[in-house]
Amino acid sequence: MTVKIVTDSLSDITSDLAGELGVTVVPLYVRFGETVYKDRVEITAEEFYRRLVSTPALPSTTQPTPNDFFQVYDALAKETDEILVIVVSSKLSGTYQSATQAKEMMKGKCRIEIVDSLSVAMGMGLIVIAAVNAVKAGANLDEAADLARRCVPRSHLIAYFDTLKYLAKGGRIGKASGLLGSLLSVKPILTTKDGEMSPLTRVRSLNAGLDYLYSVAANCPNIEGLAVEHATTPDDADKLVERLGAIYPKERIYRAVISPVVGTHAGPNALALTVLEGEKK
Amino acid sequence: MSQMSSIAGQDLRDMFSAATTWLEKSSADIDALNVFPVPDGDTGTNMMLTMRSTMEEAFRAPDHSAAGVAHAMARGALMGARGNSGVILSQIWRGLAQGLEDKDSFNAADLAAALQQSAQIAYKGVSNPVEGTMLTVIKDAAAAAQAQVDAGNEDIISVLEATVDTAAESVANTPMLLKVLKDAGVVDAGGQGVYTILEGALRYLRGETELMRLRKPQIIVSELPHVAPSLQTAAVDEVPYGYCTEFLLKGEELEPETIRKRLEKKGESLIVVGDDSAVRIHIHTLTPGNILQFAARLGTMHQVSIRNMDEQHQDFLEMQKERMPTIDTAVIAVASGDGLSDVFGSLGAAAVVPGGQTMNPSTKDILQVVEATLSDKVIILPNNKNIIATANQVQSLTQKKIAVVPTRTIPQGVVALLAFDYEAEFNANAEIMEKALSSVKTIEVTRSVRATRINGLKIKRKQPIGLLDGQLIAVGDTNPDVINQLLSRLDLEKAEVITIYSGVDAEAAEVEQISAGITEKYPQLQVEVIRGGQPHYSYIISIE
Repeated sequence: MTVKIVTDSLSDITSDLAGELGVTVVPLYVRFGETVYKDRVEITAEEFYRRLVSTPALPSTTQPTPNDFFQVYDALAKETDEILVIVVSSKLSGTYQSATQAKEMMKGKCRIEIVDSLSVAMGMGLIVIAAVNAVKAGANLDEAADLARRCVPRSHLIAYFDTLKYLAKGGRIGKASGLLGSLLSVKPILTTKDGEMSPLTRVRSLNAGLDYLYSVAANCPNIEGLAVEHATTPDDADKLVERLGAIYPKERIYRAVISPVVGTHAGPNALALTVLEGEKK
Repeated sequence: MSQMSSIAGQDLRDMFSAATTWLEKSSADIDALNVFPVPDGDTGTNMMLTMRSTMEEAFRAPDHSAAGVAHAMARGALMGARGNSGVILSQIWRGLAQGLEDKDSFNAADLAAALQQSAQIAYKGVSNPVEGTMLTVIKDAAAAAQAQVDAGNEDIISVLEATVDTAAESVANTPMLLKVLKDAGVVDAGGQGVYTILEGALRYLRGETELMRLRKPQIIVSELPHVAPSLQTAAVDEVPYGYCTEFLLKGEELEPETIRKRLEKKGESLIVVGDDSAVRIHIHTLTPGNILQFAARLGTMHQVSIRNMDEQHQDFLEMQKERMPTIDTAVIAVASGDGLSDVFGSLGAAAVVPGGQTMNPSTKDILQVVEATLSDKVIILPNNKNIIATANQVQSLTQKKIAVVPTRTIPQGVVALLAFDYEAEFNANAEIMEKALSSVKTIEVTRSVRATRINGLKIKRKQPIGLLDGQLIAVGDTNPDVINQLLSRLDLEKAEVITIYSGVDAEAAEVEQISAGITEKYPQLQVEVIRGGQPHYSYIISIE
């Protein structure tokens, strides 16, 4: 039986893409005041960002419950006996915990491997896609999990934030806190390092930010996959894709929208580039 | 606005009841500010719980006079005081009660006197009063109330308005008085709590209950830039914290003064407050057992709490470490003017060497700062063409690894520092920073020190002159005129951000005029004005 792949909604794999890939996406939760929404199931990304800027109180986010994962495992167990779960960095969310607890709830009914992507957004999305491709090529659970784990250190998520306000308030700022408190208005560029948000550099304008993101990809000698995503500014992301077309086939660049849960921390106008570096031969 | 000349007991109760609800909305935000004296992050919650107990007792009070309500509040606060901040808060109510003794209602003068008493009692309750805390805030607030009354103001609302305004200023100033706050980039949490309570009471008196339901209190932001804390602050090695020991002692004929004297040598942060029937004790000690044994002989102990503060402190140190830039390379910059120093500090420069045009630092000056940084690898930004050579000599005098990025102007220094790459190797970083220099143009505006002819320009003494990347190419009658000439020489199509650093002698109106002029002429540009405070140059402008 083929391996089934499960991820969480922070992978930014949209339902269309998930259907195409045959991946099950477990949503996290976004809470505005008293109302709780399933990420991108009960609230669209557009609706979310509209409210993010208009609501004074910031939304909060919550990991899926163990039961959410259990339901998915249990349903998939009817079709397969091998499930590969790739989740958001355990340093950023408790999703890994929920996925693990659910595995215990299954009591060995099905073989389940859980991979901590140590990343988020397409930084994990590209790992999921790589795993899907491996399974399509005939990999079994151990081989697919091994491949996903080997992708983890090669997946580089580089994010341009218009502001650190949301990340700071959300308490997930990690090592990027050194960027706070600048007297000049600056736009931080962050990356995920050891599973946490970590500073890379700062720029003063969007265009300088786009230049930087482009240069990261351009300086990578061996690109296996590329993804570009936006929060509220698709045109800026398209511009970046256009430029990246000079170094990588444009049609193979994945385009995505930054998930509301991530958006709670990234804020509007954020852009992200993921470079999946090829394995050194 | 309506005037108010006196307040009765019921109003006293209702105003602080409203203030408690107001504080409650803010308690989580206040928790987040807490770094002093021990970073346990619960000052807001502690003050809120203390206020709840305070008001519960006030509502139970059979005596509805101002004095009766105030006494009930003081009693409730003492019984329910939590944490350091709660205990000090209870002292504030005790002082208020003493100040309102025998009063059915009170006027502005009574209020001012009572607040003064609050401040006094609050200071007395702490064995080592520290400035820059809620003590300072209540003291400043009380002084403001007294000043209003002394000036003949009889309207309680406007007296309280002045009190609240002063409290806000006092809170904003706490980081200037207390280094831990400055390092953490926050205001004092307890002070913020006191301000919020006073503000809540004032809003109630002004009849703003509807608004209080919809809004929430503002956390006061200090004007201070957040300068990266030095390693020493995080590694500060004080006496081990031991155990935070807290309890309420009930008994008969207790003597708070005697108890305080007995405990004074037993630990730190000692607070002993109360009366002959109930005393609240708070102490940071290495031997909580001894304290409890001593107290057990005097009466019964209630609400006993003993917490290991070393654990709390460890967590705090971890948190502090995360706040530091995760780099092993230090960047130091040469600049003069407090504003410019703050800019470099806020962008992560480890230190700023004072100096610039006409006051070039010596190699030794720079060397000293290099040696004082905690890093073995130092990048120097000279920010002036006459300082580059001096900076280059530092390498021959130190074991540390030095790179000089040849920045010739302040804007070049800023873009170089911004381009600092947290992941890059030392040499690569110096290269990246140097490469960034081409992305900025610098305009400097100063005054000619003598009449001269240069580059085809006829210049009179003291006339405003303008330099573009170090070349003197404009002269005019006014600063805005010179700036316009220079800007018109640049291709601003590709520019995005203009930053104006105003000099120490720049006039606010002129700064405004210049920035508005640029915005009007080049609406696509983002214009930012920063007070640089530099001497000699009325304006330094960066075009990126």
